[in-house]
Amino acid sequence: MMARTIDFAQGWRIMQIGITKLEKHVEGLPGNSINSEQYIKLYTTVYVMCTQKPPHDHTEKLYNKYCEVLEEYTKSTALPSLRKTYDDEYMLLRVLLERWSIHKKMVRRLSRIFHYLDRYFVYRNSLLSLEEVGLACFVDMVYNTLQRRVREAVIAIVDKEREGDDTDIDRALLENIKDIYVEIGMGNMKRYEQDLESFMLEGTASYYSRKASRWIQEYSYFDYIRKSEECVKKEKKRMSHYLYASSEPELVKKVEHELFVVYANKLLEKKHSEFREIAGGLEPITNMFKQHVEDTDGQDTAAIRKVIEVHDKYIVYVTKCLENQTIFHKSLKEAFKFFCSKAVSGSSLSAESLATICDRIIILKKWASEELSDEAIEKVVKFLAYISDDKDLFAEFYKKKLARRLLLNRDASYDHERRIITKLKQQFGGNFTYKMEGMVTDLTLSRQYQNSFDEYVASNPAAKPGIDFNVTLLTTSVWPSYKTFDVNLPSEMVKCVEIFKVFYEAKHKRRKLTWLHSLDTCHINGKFDQKPIDLIVSTHQAAVLLLFNTRDQLNYTDIQTQLNLSHEDLVWVLHSLSCAKYKILIKEPATETVSKNDVFEVNSKFTSRMGRVKIPLSHVDERKKVVEYVNNDRRYAIEASIVRIMKGKKVLGHEQLVSQCVKQLSGMFKPDVKAIKTRIEELIARDYLERDKMNPNMFRYLA
Amino acid sequence: MRETVKLISMEGFEFVIDREAAMVSQTIRSMLTSPGGFSESKEGVVTFPDISTTILEKICQYFYWSIQYSRGKETEFHIEPELTLELMMAANYLHT
Repeated sequence: MMARTIDFAQGWRIMQIGITKLEKHVEGLPGNSINSEQYIKLYTTVYVMCTQKPPHDHTEKLYNKYCEVLEEYTKSTALPSLRKTYDDEYMLLRVLLERWSIHKKMVRRLSRIFHYLDRYFVYRNSLLSLEEVGLACFVDMVYNTLQRRVREAVIAIVDKEREGDDTDIDRALLENIKDIYVEIGMGNMKRYEQDLESFMLEGTASYYSRKASRWIQEYSYFDYIRKSEECVKKEKKRMSHYLYASSEPELVKKVEHELFVVYANKLLEKKHSEFREIAGGLEPITNMFKQHVEDTDGQDTAAIRKVIEVHDKYIVYVTKCLENQTIFHKSLKEAFKFFCSKAVSGSSLSAESLATICDRIIILKKWASEELSDEAIEKVVKFLAYISDDKDLFAEFYKKKLARRLLLNRDASYDHERRIITKLKQQFGGNFTYKMEGMVTDLTLSRQYQNSFDEYVASNPAAKPGIDFNVTLLTTSVWPSYKTFDVNLPSEMVKCVEIFKVFYEAKHKRRKLTWLHSLDTCHINGKFDQKPIDLIVSTHQAAVLLLFNTRDQLNYTDIQTQLNLSHEDLVWVLHSLSCAKYKILIKEPATETVSKNDVFEVNSKFTSRMGRVKIPLSHVDERKKVVEYVNNDRRYAIEASIVRIMKGKKVLGHEQLVSQCVKQLSGMFKPDVKAIKTRIEELIARDYLERDKMNPNMFRYLA
Repeated sequence: MRETVKLISMEGFEFVIDREAAMVSQTIRSMLTSPGGFSESKEGVVTFPDISTTILEKICQYFYWSIQYSRGKETEFHIEPELTLELMMAANYLHT
């Protein structure tokens, strides 16, 4: 072991030579590699200087010198090259990378040489190890000043790639840069996170927010969604190059936030408005329908069915693609409302047509099974829920048609009807359907009555009606109102009526029977020249025909006196017998209309291929009547609702009253604001409400 | 294929030992494993102008004993008392 002491200056001179050589070496200058001899020498020098007895214990000085050396080195070499401005981001990054790796080398070599310091001095005095010193040096001098530029460069490159400029993205470079950040952290990721990661995330966020603001204008809803999803995918792939995996969830979150959350409202609006556009696309369909319906009026069913199809299609659209959000259902509803309220060739696709559809669906035997027709009805009903401001109108029409179906089709199974009514109940509530249910119940009851009546007749020989006779009992309140014709019945019929009256009164003392002869059917056997034909006619028609049993020829006035019918009704009846398809009676003069001076006689030459002929009564347009009826009903409903509201609130302003009224009645129909106003005035006149003296817009309830 | 290194004492004696043995010394190890190599990593020769032959010999023995010991063979390593001090200093120097 050596015995000589090394003076610091001396020792350091030796060191300096070695260090200079080393510096040159790491810069890549050839011929400067340090061989083992030199290394040993340097190492030994350090060793000796540290182990010498004080005052030659130069450890601390050595340490300081070490730090100095590194600083000097960095200053003289790394900084200048990095201070330059570079046009190309790549240059900057590459230079940085180079200098960093050189620096690392330098630090490593140097610290090996000075290693002895690390073993004792550093440890004992809790100083930064040699390596740490080296790193810190770089960080302070180079990294801190540069890193902003560096990361801006990085994000510029990444943005370029995002734009699709893939050509010369040096991904390896970016990865290395990322590694620098991590290494500089010296074990923890704080530097990485603070300096690189957060910046990159922000940059990404701002990039996408810029893009999103543009895209939201340009793209349709679906395109936007698709593009955004693509971007998210790409970013995930891309970020593995320039960020650590740990950053991924954050990044994705940011991107998604910018693309989706920020614009969530706008997106919804977009959907909404796009849907309106889609709904606007229903316009051409409307026109198509118009055409359709103008051609044949029987095409109502087809038209509506088509509409239902379209509607179904859009429902699927909404539920599957647009996530079934209520806002879309709303737009769909509005779209269809709008569409349906437009008159389709005069007759609006309204409550009435829907009722007609239902009617036809039920009657039409072409449905293979009842289930199918049930389904079809369900669709119509659902559809109805969307469009109708006039649900009560639909109810009325439906009821009328139901009544007709029930009365004309004695042998039908009522189960089917019941099922449909249940469906309507589910849709609209019991209020809507309770009358319909009542009608069906009536018929079943009627059958029972009929049976017991037959028994009664069988067991009671005095009560023989003489002709086959069936009665259907209808509860007045439940059935639509029918006009009663008071007609003088032929004697045979009178007898039947009397017998039944007796029978019924025995059962229910206090009930009143009103006979609706307009709904009856009679089977009359007419003996014509060629062959006897059964005629199925209404009671009134039968009454007329039976008159001819006694006389061959009758004139109008005769018939009228005999039957005691009003002029209109008689005309109607005679018209159906003489001027319609089947001319049972010959009219003189043979004009198309019946007048008071006409003479009628039996057409003995009448014949038909079939043995049984139905003579229908010309159909009266009930529509107007139904509408009128419903309007009246509505008036009462509005009044009742107003009174109810006022009773509860005692004092209320005009607008609030109107809006509450609308809300209450919305289940059945959409009340017209004017109508409500009129009703309010009416109620004031009838002393249910009064106007506030101070404020004419306020109303008070009068008990 | 065991590599060997040559350790040369101050008198010029050459001790050829396994690389693995030499690595017991941290100093030698860092010399031999530095990247981009000090030239000795290629050559595998280290000169110790400050270590006498006797000591160096003992040190080489120590290397082998150390490996054996770490592999489970617990024998004793005998040190002649007069060598102790110098051996210690060498050990310190070589970071062993």
